[in-house]
Amino acid sequence: MSEALFQAFIFPGLLYVLVWTVGLFWFFRKFMAALHKRVGPSFNGKGGSYQTLFDLSKLLTKESITPDGVNPYLFSTMPLLAVIFAMLPSAFIPWMDGVVVVDSDYGVLALVILIGIEPFLLFLTGFGSNNKYSFLGGIRILTQSISMETSFILAALSPALLFSTMNLTAIVEQSSWFSFLVLLPGFIIYFIALLGLLEQPPFNIPDAEQEIVYGFYTEYSGTNYFLLQVAMFAEFMAVFAGAATLFLGAYKGIFFDSYFFFFMKMMGIAVVMMTMRAATPRITLAQMLNFSWQYMVPIALVNIAWVLFAKSLWFIGA
Amino acid sequence: MEYVKKLISSYNCEYVEDYKKCWTKAKLNSKNDLLSVAEALKKEGLRSLSTVSPTDFIDENIMEINYFFEDLETKRNLWLKVDLPREKEECEIESLTPLFSSAEWHEREAYSMFGVNFLNHPDLRDIIKSEDYSGVYPFRKDFDWLAHEKNVVQNMQTIVDSFKKEQEENEVELDSDSSETILNWGPTHPASGPIRLRVHCDGEDIISIDPDIGYVWRALEHLVTQKDFISAIVSVERLCFMDNINSMTGYAMAVEEIAGVEITPFASWMRVLLGEIARCSSHFMGLGMFFNNMGLHTLAMWNMDTRELFLDFLESYSGARIATASVEPGGVRYGLDMAMFDELEKALEKFDESIGEVEAIFVKNPTMTLRAENVGVLSADEVHKFGLSGIVARGSGVKTDIRIDEPYAAYDELDLEYIIQEGGSAKDRFIMLFRDLKQSVDIIKKAKEHISNAVESGEMNPTKDHMVKVPKKLPKGEAISRVEWARGEVLMHLVTDEKAKSPYRLKMRAPSFNHTMMLNHLLAGATLSDIPLIFGSLYICQGDLDR
Repeated sequence: MSEALFQAFIFPGLLYVLVWTVGLFWFFRKFMAALHKRVGPSFNGKGGSYQTLFDLSKLLTKESITPDGVNPYLFSTMPLLAVIFAMLPSAFIPWMDGVVVVDSDYGVLALVILIGIEPFLLFLTGFGSNNKYSFLGGIRILTQSISMETSFILAALSPALLFSTMNLTAIVEQSSWFSFLVLLPGFIIYFIALLGLLEQPPFNIPDAEQEIVYGFYTEYSGTNYFLLQVAMFAEFMAVFAGAATLFLGAYKGIFFDSYFFFFMKMMGIAVVMMTMRAATPRITLAQMLNFSWQYMVPIALVNIAWVLFAKSLWFIGA
Repeated sequence: MEYVKKLISSYNCEYVEDYKKCWTKAKLNSKNDLLSVAEALKKEGLRSLSTVSPTDFIDENIMEINYFFEDLETKRNLWLKVDLPREKEECEIESLTPLFSSAEWHEREAYSMFGVNFLNHPDLRDIIKSEDYSGVYPFRKDFDWLAHEKNVVQNMQTIVDSFKKEQEENEVELDSDSSETILNWGPTHPASGPIRLRVHCDGEDIISIDPDIGYVWRALEHLVTQKDFISAIVSVERLCFMDNINSMTGYAMAVEEIAGVEITPFASWMRVLLGEIARCSSHFMGLGMFFNNMGLHTLAMWNMDTRELFLDFLESYSGARIATASVEPGGVRYGLDMAMFDELEKALEKFDESIGEVEAIFVKNPTMTLRAENVGVLSADEVHKFGLSGIVARGSGVKTDIRIDEPYAAYDELDLEYIIQEGGSAKDRFIMLFRDLKQSVDIIKKAKEHISNAVESGEMNPTKDHMVKVPKKLPKGEAISRVEWARGEVLMHLVTDEKAKSPYRLKMRAPSFNHTMMLNHLLAGATLSDIPLIFGSLYICQGDLDR
């Protein structure tokens, strides 16, 4: 019982995810600032490290406004659900050797579904806001997630096919330098699709502030907005961890295995994502659709064929 | 030029005369001739109507309308005047909009501000002024501003009521089963600035756009008439904060022309130097905004970093970073401490250091090309038709640049060349802006070198030469001056009265007005994603849009 509580509230549950969220938030700000030739937060704490905490506590205590004419239950439940669903994948990730809460034989499936359900929740927030901009943002996020999720799932399946298991722990155990090379095309597709799912440039179409103000976020303020922000960064963490687990061998490292390597792999993905964010403008919805269905999905299918081919050649009986 | 003169002489004119390097000035005796004159001019090649500017002579009971026709190719321009009776019922004239598309908004402005009725205008509605002014004409000399401002609470209520009424009614006519809607893009919107576009759209597709402007209307043209000739620069420079110096130069030139004053070479070189610094500071922001509007803030941040150093020079020269008030009739306001050039040198060095990186990452950005290559395309014909200027015109391959066409300050001593970009798409306008910025920095370097050399050889005295005295009272007269502003051509039409202490009328023709007119033309049929991109590429500043 106490172990279950520990897992739910401390590691890898609520507290762990919150620490990650706040840390990632701060790191994004600092790293982005450096790319922008700015300083970023610098006053509170070392390198402005308290700034994010202050910001979040400010958001928590601010008035949360529910607009006229919306269903208040739908409007306020969605952010909460978004946070919970963004935190759940953490339970399926093998954070360290033998440290995993739910050691499921369907880990890959759970991961993909929990990550994939998030855009739908955000669509509902836009749908329930009774605002033209929110609604447009909601429609956009639905369009984008349907297009991107196809290649996302196909890419996530490639390690499962290669190692003939959906158990994440087993996938990590079997992964090697060689399997990483075989899975590299899958990893690249996974990464691009991940940008689409997380609404990162060049796919930050659903909350394109210059076009549709703040998309589905437009009507949210105070606590609800805080929850949506936490959900976004928790989602970042889940997706990075998913990528590191599926393709990069999670905690496996050089000479010794440690959480440190897991951490560095996740940060590596974060850094690449941020750098793209700092140098790529947004594309349009039509361009995203073309890109997704004309290139991403066919290439993802070819990748499946490549993985099966490589498996029959080098991994049979291994 | 001669031909234009001959053409206009064949009509019944009070006078026809040459004016400045590329203008013919004429006054028609009868307003009935206007349409046929305009038609003949259009055939002759004067295809752009720069602006329509009424002047209200209340003592003579006359409303004089000034038309400024321009030919962007051969630079033969015509300044045409015609008198109208001042009474509201009789103050009417044929609209030129069917012939010159660029007249549309300018005639609407004349209608809103002076109550001139344009017959056969396709869309004669109020523009710029807020709803509490509907039915009254604020720029007429007999309008009582103070009395109007006494009812401030009621005026605000009128504005609020009319906005609410519009919001209630604007979708009534739409089919409720369709997916069509009216979207307000602005005035409180992350990318709009103080302008509102009523976007009539079907899902993501735009059907039409109706810009609603006037959110930063300060009635600058009226404020100027309340001040003396020197303090008027404060109103003039607030045309737009990004490039304030060139607008002051334009105004100062018009005053000097009426006063008959020649400024010193040092002052004219300083006007070039300061003007180009202001142009750079504006272009830095324009380049950044273009990418900001596609959701990428890096370039804006990098440009701000460089721009700070240019502003440092303005600060040490004038004491202010943005609103410098540093050009005034008679020269420039302050002498120059040569040590300030070290500061400028630092800015130029920083620019040279960082410009390569900007070019590699942003100007040649493949995603930007993907987005902006084929959208917002303006042909050279449309540039003529809508009277566009500045980087928008040059981005479509039209060779127009007032610095070369009608050189002012010391630009005739600089060997400038037209920089143009064929294509006319949003991307071409962005690249045009970038190349214009580089040219500007080159001019700064040349001007700086020229001033340093002349000071060293004793030709110029930087602490004494900056000003010539301009009399406080000016004779009756009028003048126009044109400058190449950061956004394009600014035309100032200044009228003074007998023994005038302050301007009688100042018309500021600002480029963003014409460029905003293009929005519906460019965006109908595009998608919502193209609004910020095309809006940004037109390099619109709401300050000079509303004045």
